[in-house]
Amino acid sequence: MNETVLETEKLDKVYKLGGRSIRALSDVNLQVKKGDFVSIMGPSGSGKTTLLNILGCLDKPTSGRIILDDVDVTTVPEKELYKIRRYKIGFVFQTFNLLPYLSAIENVELPMEGTGKSKEEKLKRARELLKLVGLAERENHKPLRLSAGEQQRVAIARALANGPSILLADEPTGNLDAKTKYEIVRLLGKLNTEHGTTIVMVTHDNAIASHARRVLFINDGKMLSKEKMGLFAKEKLTCPACGREIQITHVFCPHCGRKLSN
Amino acid sequence: MRTLLVVIALGFSIAIMISIPAGIMANQESMQTLSENLTSTITTMQEEINKTATLIECSTTPNQGMQTFRPGGGFFGGVNETFINESIVDEIYSINVSGVRVVKDVIPSLEKSSSENITETITTPFGNRTVYRSAYTIIGVCLNSSIISSYSILPTNITAGENLSEGDSCYVLISSNLTEYFEAGVGDTITINGELFTVKGIFESSSQTRTVYMNISDAQRITGLTGEISKLYVYVVDSSYATQVADVIKAAYPELYVTSYQDRLENLQQMQSMYTQTLSNAESSIAQAQSTATQVIIIAVAATSLIVLFVMLYSVRERTKEIGILKAIGFSNWNVMSQFMLEGVLIGLIGGATGVLIGSTIAPFLSSFLIPQINLFGGTQRPQASVQMPSTNIVGLQSYTTVTLSPELILLALGAAVLLGAIGSLYPAWRASKISPIEALRYE
Ligand SMILES: Nc1ncnc2c1ncn2[C@@H]1O[C@H](COP(=O)(O)OP(=O)(O)O)[C@@H](O)[C@H]1O
Ligand SMILES: [Mg+2]
Repeated sequence: MNETVLETEKLDKVYKLGGRSIRALSDVNLQVKKGDFVSIMGPSGSGKTTLLNILGCLDKPTSGRIILDDVDVTTVPEKELYKIRRYKIGFVFQTFNLLPYLSAIENVELPMEGTGKSKEEKLKRARELLKLVGLAERENHKPLRLSAGEQQRVAIARALANGPSILLADEPTGNLDAKTKYEIVRLLGKLNTEHGTTIVMVTHDNAIASHARRVLFINDGKMLSKEKMGLFAKEKLTCPACGREIQITHVFCPHCGRKLSN
Repeated sequence: MRTLLVVIALGFSIAIMISIPAGIMANQESMQTLSENLTSTITTMQEEINKTATLIECSTTPNQGMQTFRPGGGFFGGVNETFINESIVDEIYSINVSGVRVVKDVIPSLEKSSSENITETITTPFGNRTVYRSAYTIIGVCLNSSIISSYSILPTNITAGENLSEGDSCYVLISSNLTEYFEAGVGDTITINGELFTVKGIFESSSQTRTVYMNISDAQRITGLTGEISKLYVYVVDSSYATQVADVIKAAYPELYVTSYQDRLENLQQMQSMYTQTLSNAESSIAQAQSTATQVIIIAVAATSLIVLFVMLYSVRERTKEIGILKAIGFSNWNVMSQFMLEGVLIGLIGGATGVLIGSTIAPFLSSFLIPQINLFGGTQRPQASVQMPSTNIVGLQSYTTVTLSPELILLALGAAVLLGAIGSLYPAWRASKISPIEALRYE
């Protein structure tokens, strides 16, 4: 867990609106190691989406550098950026952004379009991923026939299609009810612990943020120096009722059956 | 819904595109036939005229164009018939130029319409007309052995029986379409003006020709025109005298209608120039049609590409968010562009197929609607009645609308539709590919 996947140096982002300029990010320095699960917590308007869009190469910083897998993506020309987005980054949106006229499996296959994979390979990979997110039975459903939580699972599967170096999730639980929120964040946790997926998630929800390994804080476009250990960082979790070891993915204690809060 | 609009628009313009060339091709084909027919008519007439360089025709009634060479084929009945005394034969025979006899033979004939009449429906370029005409024409010819052997004064295409021969009296040779009228065949006896005649032979003739050939003395007797004739075929010893002799006859007998080789040649030239005029009218009419058609096609193509363009632009705008998503998950500009191009081409293909369907059903209608009729005569001018066109074998005014769609044309149309779809979506697709992902994702 020492290899750095993502590193930013002095990221600044200034929006110019009419005559006014808004400093959405200032001097953001971030380091994400392989296999890490970082959540960035901050109030609404603190610059979380701005940061994530820039990390996901959807937007450009006003200044600063982003090194992803040893490549300074700020120097990659616009025409070549799609390769970074396609192969290095998996993006999960708050509003899922699935294509409504495509089935679940077609949505998952979509990022593999143009990668030279055969139809069978794409289908096989998409099935694997849907199984991984627990939707193997729903592959032919259109997004509108899936619940919000299921749609976000499809979106996560889609983000993983090309085996990205990093998964970026912008308020992935923002549009979900309390119960599904935890399901989704536990799914992210499972991907991280069982499959080694490197994840950066931004949220304004304290309870959700604490499910990561590291919790960072952002306010007014600046990263705060404090850092918290998330639940996933702990070596062992124990059931508060019976004291025996549990997994973070458990909703009920497998030993005493008590419902576990977050 | 919008796609449907594009498909319909494309469909119609493709229909126009395939109808028009089909119509033009049909026009050109009929033009070709027309030109061939006219040329062969002129050639035949030229040949016929050349054979009669030494012939001067004298008639008591005006010539009727082509009918000059079809004695008795009077088209419209009721021509006032006049006659002249046969003493003229000897008078003309004795014409001399600088003391030299130049007339070789003078062959008299008597043509007289029968007293019975029939009604007949004929087809003219201006519709069907019912005409009232004599049932047949009696032609009395000189049945001298020297004349029969030297000149073809009798029909040659005998289909039954035998031709008239020297000195035959009370025998007739009738045209094939009269067998029904007389209810008689070879060997039967028929009554003409109260006298009995035996049908010696039947000759094949056109439907217009209703003639009965007999000895001139028989004809004079039964028509009560003893010593009268209506026509003279004057043969000069050398064609170089033809004009001169004709002039002498014209001067001496102003009541005769005289046509020499020269006159006939002039007639032919006149006819030829009229045909040429007709052809060039038709040609310019076709050229005009073609340029109109080209304009229509250009307008259709332009309109269609514009419709495709606007619909695709609208579609790109409407799907901005989708484009943002596609780009966010790693679609390249090229991927996005080809996605939209593919859509345009597909619309084009469907539109093209629709067009071929529409076109194949309404092409004849559409092409006759879009292409002006071929005008053979230019302006309002019509062929004058005095110059009769051999109308039976000229492709007429209404014969060109057989429009057929060749497989090549259908393929071409499909290709054009696909091309239109592609061209119309080129710019919108390019616009789509240039959309920035972050802007597009924010778009609602
Ligand atoms: N496209 C934009 N143009 C101008 N200002 C923007 C734009 N996007 C975000 N901002 C501003 O930047 C700041 C950070 O926004 P954002 O990154 O969306 O915050 P968060 O995701 O934490 O709620 C806010 O003040 C917001 O108004
Ligand atoms: Mg946000």
